[in-house]
Amino acid sequence: MSRSLLLAAPLLVVASAIAAPRPGTVGAPGKTAQDSCTACHAGLDDRRLQAPAQAASDDIHHRQGVSCAGCHGGDPTSGDAAVAMDPARGFVGRIESGQEPARCGSCHSDAAFMTRYGANIPTDQESQYRTSRHGQGLAKGDRNVATCSSCHGAHGVLPANDPRSAVYASRVVDTCGRCHGNVALMTGYGLKGDELAQYRQSVHYAALTTKNDLSAPTCNDCHGSHGAAPPGIESVSNVCGTCHLTQRERFDLSPHKDAFAAIEQPACEACHGNHAVIEPNDGWIGVGEGQVCGSCHSVGDAGAEAAGGLSSALAGASHAILATSRRVDAARRAGMLMEEAEVRLEEAQQALVLARNEIHTVTLARMSEQTQAVGRATAGADQLAAAAEAEIRFRRTGLFVSLGVILLAMLALALKIRALER
Amino acid sequence: MKLATKAWRALDERLGVQGVLELALHKEVPRHRHSWAYYLGGLTLFFFAVQIVTGILLLLYYRPTAEAAFESVQFIVTRVPFGWLVRSVHSWSANLMILAAFAHMFSVYLLGAYVKPRELTWWTGVAVLGLGMGFGFSGYLLPWNELSFFATRVGTDMVSKVPLLGHWLLRLLRGGEEVTGATLTRFFGIHVAVLPMITAALLGLHLTLVQRQGMHVPSSREAEARRRPPLKFFPNFALRDAVVWLGGLAVLAALAAFFPWELGAKADPFASAPAGIKPEWYFLFMFETLKLLPAHVVGIEGELLGLAAFSVAGAVWFLVPLLDRGGASGRHSRFFLLLGWIALGFIVSFTALSFLGVFE
Repeated sequence: MSRSLLLAAPLLVVASAIAAPRPGTVGAPGKTAQDSCTACHAGLDDRRLQAPAQAASDDIHHRQGVSCAGCHGGDPTSGDAAVAMDPARGFVGRIESGQEPARCGSCHSDAAFMTRYGANIPTDQESQYRTSRHGQGLAKGDRNVATCSSCHGAHGVLPANDPRSAVYASRVVDTCGRCHGNVALMTGYGLKGDELAQYRQSVHYAALTTKNDLSAPTCNDCHGSHGAAPPGIESVSNVCGTCHLTQRERFDLSPHKDAFAAIEQPACEACHGNHAVIEPNDGWIGVGEGQVCGSCHSVGDAGAEAAGGLSSALAGASHAILATSRRVDAARRAGMLMEEAEVRLEEAQQALVLARNEIHTVTLARMSEQTQAVGRATAGADQLAAAAEAEIRFRRTGLFVSLGVILLAMLALALKIRALER
Repeated sequence: MKLATKAWRALDERLGVQGVLELALHKEVPRHRHSWAYYLGGLTLFFFAVQIVTGILLLLYYRPTAEAAFESVQFIVTRVPFGWLVRSVHSWSANLMILAAFAHMFSVYLLGAYVKPRELTWWTGVAVLGLGMGFGFSGYLLPWNELSFFATRVGTDMVSKVPLLGHWLLRLLRGGEEVTGATLTRFFGIHVAVLPMITAALLGLHLTLVQRQGMHVPSSREAEARRRPPLKFFPNFALRDAVVWLGGLAVLAALAAFFPWELGAKADPFASAPAGIKPEWYFLFMFETLKLLPAHVVGIEGELLGLAAFSVAGAVWFLVPLLDRGGASGRHSRFFLLLGWIALGFIVSFTALSFLGVFE
């Protein structure tokens, strides 16, 4: 949902001072806007005034026929600066940040108008923004909060699927980080300002940046784009569950669901953290030092006992896979084709993944079904490895026997030669 | 026994085989410090015989299509009784055969055995080695695995550098613009029909010439050869040959059992080439030299220049019995002896350095 909003978001910045776009300020979709604003501003010496004209050629609005006057008003058909920028003709010059949502929303909230640029373009960005922490702050007169141009830029606005765009998936973290990475600024809002630094340690950030996996979550995937707000206690599992469906389903089956709700503990975050979501491992399960169950359970209670059972079942399954893998690898290194055994190991690995999912139910019986499947698969692979080892022994024995026969034959020939030449 | 004698007499009446037997029985092999070189040709022949036998066995199961080649080799090494051994022996023996052939050729060259009257023996021998390398190149592709696929792509690409005819040659070799199933079928045909036919003819001639002319005695060892009594070809030399062959067989068995030839992953024409693609070891010296050459040398493409240089060197090597003026008197010149050592040093050092990863 948030991703699709982002994709359409650049068009939010298409704004007009008037509810219905005036003829001449908004052209036909797909037709690059031509007007006196860019022609004149491009030739100005003041770089601050020149920059918007230079950025116009890449701007999605400009490329779709929306001229500068679409947001700034005035008369773009006149070559006379005084006429073109006459306040009487609706010229507003610089748009104050408090006015931005309404200005952009004049087009982007207008479903009938936006249909010109594509079917089903979302038009709820402004209304979502009004409900966001940013929008609420703006309504209270806070001018430090993010408005449309804070993320999308004012000029040279690019579609969200353009890798150069500040709201492109892999760049969102830097864009949000411009404010949320500023500790001094964030302290005023009761935030630590280290959220971005934490997120950069996460598996999500690693997937996004090193694997170039654009489906990996970044800030807006959990917090929303325009309706940005922190997920509440109730909604954390919904947010994570958008991608981690199985884990969420399993968690809903667990006794933790009600217990966490009773003590107002956020579901996934309690064990996995929020921004710095790191790679989980089986060692987390337990009540010992650095183990996650220990935050609520202690040695001797039912929870600790259950954690112990889950932990040993997983450790047994992991150990079985590791031991069999080593055996299969050794046979492969000895020249045996071990593809069938590898398929069995793959099955075991998949069953282990399912077993790990069952941790979220904290029910040993459910996990055991999967760890037993791991056992069956590794037993199959072990059997194949044993057959391969027997074959290797047979081959080596065969080789030594044949080498012996060959050497004996060589010796016999040498003796024969000696006898002949004596 | 009586029947065998009758049959022999009947055969002799019609074909005069007694003469051949007489030749074998009376043939003598000179003895001197470098007599060991006389066993290298026989060892090459032994590995060639192993290739024929194992090759025929592989033919019973191998299927030469892009869809089935890899799977059929996989079937051979996993399901066919002793298929793993046959395939591994075929691959190892191919390499040992080339190694033995190189050793044979260099010993012949450095001991000056190419001089008159053995020019034809030299030419047929060099040609057979060239055919052996052709066997290696065409056979390498047949398992249709990742490495062989990309190595063949690089190898066949070399011919496209030939001026004027390059593209035509490339298409002829590949059976199209790219290495595909058509290339595989073509290489299979070349490997199991064309090359064996030509090799059989040339090898037959080579062996006949060797028997007809007898063993060459290096000029430096003539006195020693005169002093020492020669060996009878049959049975003394033949028995020694058999010992060497058994040694070759022992090495082959050990290599095949301890280092089974890997099959790798099936070729995927759409995948990107894996890192470190290299041809078979006997092409490495050429491969690395061509890689070292700059892109352009005095306006000519570096690779083209390198290939031209190798072609000229190959031609000189082949024509050495004519170029070596000392050859007419039956003694090779010091200049060509030095050239032989340089060629050997170059091939050995470049191959070794490539194995050590110096060029990477």
